[in-house]
Amino acid sequence: MQSLVARKALLQGAPRCANVARGFASSAARSQAVPLEKPVLLKEFKIYRWNPDEPAKKPTLQSYQIDLNQCGPMVLDALIKIKNEIDPTLTFRRSCREGICGSCAMNVNGQNTLACLCRIDRDSKDSKIYPLPHMYIVKDLVPDLTQFYKQYKSIEPYLKNDNPPADREFLQSPEDRRKLDGMYECILCACCSTSCPSYWWNQDEYLGPATLMAAYRWMADSRDSYGAQRKERLQNELSVYRCHTIFNCARTCPKGLNPAMAIAKLKLELAAD
Amino acid sequence: MSSALVARNAFNRRIATTFARRAIKPMAVTSFVRSNTSHAYVPGGPIYQGTVNDPTTFPPPSRTHGSYHWAFERLLSAGLVPLTAAAFVTSGSAYPLLDGILGVSLVMHSHIGFDSLLVDYLHPRKFPVLGKALPWVLRATTVGVLVGVYQFNTNDIGLTELIAKVWHA
Repeated sequence: MQSLVARKALLQGAPRCANVARGFASSAARSQAVPLEKPVLLKEFKIYRWNPDEPAKKPTLQSYQIDLNQCGPMVLDALIKIKNEIDPTLTFRRSCREGICGSCAMNVNGQNTLACLCRIDRDSKDSKIYPLPHMYIVKDLVPDLTQFYKQYKSIEPYLKNDNPPADREFLQSPEDRRKLDGMYECILCACCSTSCPSYWWNQDEYLGPATLMAAYRWMADSRDSYGAQRKERLQNELSVYRCHTIFNCARTCPKGLNPAMAIAKLKLELAAD
Repeated sequence: MSSALVARNAFNRRIATTFARRAIKPMAVTSFVRSNTSHAYVPGGPIYQGTVNDPTTFPPPSRTHGSYHWAFERLLSAGLVPLTAAAFVTSGSAYPLLDGILGVSLVMHSHIGFDSLLVDYLHPRKFPVLGKALPWVLRATTVGVLVGVYQFNTNDIGLTELIAKVWHA
């Protein structure tokens, strides 16, 4: 009832407002400003395509022309524009479009990165977009990350402590908390692991940089009391020591983290153990 | 969706095989035939251990293959730096012990390097025959090289002298 009254009042008020507006307005031609015409800046995107419905067809690179002046600044914007306007069958993962979910990890111009954090290079004529290298492909730009997640699960990425404080939460000194900086920010996009040649050859046994950094993150946590068991499990030739300090992981990380540093500390702790 | 996508994980693969037993098999098989017949297409790609929700397992822990091996290899590599520098400063004939240590640690260093190569690329879990045979070939070679270096250092001019000679040649 109240809202009806309010609407009535609004209706009565409306013509008055219009009259006021008319008073300030000038000729119709001046009010319709012509939008600034941007020149067409075409760029070619060559995108890896493979369709599991046609397994007999080999994967191909498909070209799409995009006007960069009618597109957002990031590679993900271009992909979404292609999917919306040119080819709805193009398949890729995306979610947050701001580099916090890790869904849109792919290989853009030879570098593993998040499409949402990767600016479109406006100077070069074409860009090549592939899925994460050396992974089984589900479709187009979607890799199968099952093994990656299984490995992450194997290091038990959660707090384990048999003697939790009875009456309050775990306390941690600022220094101890600082040890986790640079590791807890990992979003598990798999850019680093899939850039690692060792992970390419031995991903069934070698854990890869992302998982190893997560493993060390829980060893470095002062609140966790299972450090010894966590270390013991990694004492074999394949899980950790297939890392040959190639540093591709630190170079490619779209979040600017350094998994190689975490692995180096992990090796040092294993050796000092 | 095609059966290729459906058969992605182990659980679904089990369903797929159950279906396959129910006389859908011929159709399913023909749909997976690739243009490249030498490499048969495996529905679902990789073969996981357990279901998709099971974590991967670890090999049995062994410090000999783990941290001890790594620490030894790192110390050996670090030790080679002063050893090589010392070989440049002194002469091998004046300090035969130093020459001997350098010879042995160089051979050990390269043995570990080649062994790492075999573990990386020719591991027994993927190459059951080659992977088991080649480490023995490597060990035999290393022993042979060690004997050769010993003979060369005791009966001839020795490693450092040889390199110095080649260097100045």
